[in-house]
Amino acid sequence: MTAVEVLDRLNALLDADEDATSNTSMRLPTALRDAAALAVGELGLAPSTTALTAAALRAALETAVMRAALDEHYQQHPDARPSLAEVALALAEQTGSPLAQHPAALASATEQLLARHPDADAHDALLWAEAQSLMSA
Amino acid sequence: MSVVVLDNEAVQALVDPQHAKHSRVLAHLESAVARRKRGDLARVVVPCAARVEAGWDRSAPTRSAIKRFRVTDVALDSRQGNVAADIVNRERVSVADAHVGAAVTVNDWRGAVILTSDPQDMRRVCSPIPVTPIRV
Repeated sequence: MTAVEVLDRLNALLDADEDATSNTSMRLPTALRDAAALAVGELGLAPSTTALTAAALRAALETAVMRAALDEHYQQHPDARPSLAEVALALAEQTGSPLAQHPAALASATEQLLARHPDADAHDALLWAEAQSLMSA
Repeated sequence: MSVVVLDNEAVQALVDPQHAKHSRVLAHLESAVARRKRGDLARVVVPCAARVEAGWDRSAPTRSAIKRFRVTDVALDSRQGNVAADIVNRERVSVADAHVGAAVTVNDWRGAVILTSDPQDMRRVCSPIPVTPIRV
């Protein structure tokens, strides 16, 4: 299957009616299963361990599809990839960070961060920029 | 769980790699994915009327990977239709903008991020629900 075909199939399965269910023979670590049961029973984390497991699996799969769609898009259109500073700015805007009003400072902090930590992500960049902002205040 | 709503222009920018704001919208999708990885299960949604106005037929054959990014359609059902009609009468906006307002209102998406070409209009159509409109 091509990457696009895999994405299509995953999206179709994730969008499908959830009424059809299957018993599985999935083997879980016993302690993890017991922790899930305790959290459901005592913390009200989810209506059941099945619901907890299904929700966690769905969340992980949906995130994976999002990530894979973006990565495949960058394969198709390498110039479309936003810089880390642009993603950090978007994150600042979405989360209401004051740094959303200071894109130049955010870009500068991101550049400094990447020089020492090439694998830094948008959360790292925002945190570093906020720390710098506090230091200079 | 938080919500990222696409308006008409955000959809146009998303699906067209040549669009001037394409990377800007992608940065916001990257941000949504980053938030999900930190446990905030941000969802990206598009009110169907906005998608119609942008001309995005999701059933059309395409090899475009970005059109496989998980964007949930919000249907213009009877309840949202009534709310959208009220918004059109009240605010004199397009059907697409009114559907954004109706989707936010009916679903009570307080604090929803709206990627839009007109943040002021989005505040009006979503009132009194507080939202975070972001200009793309």
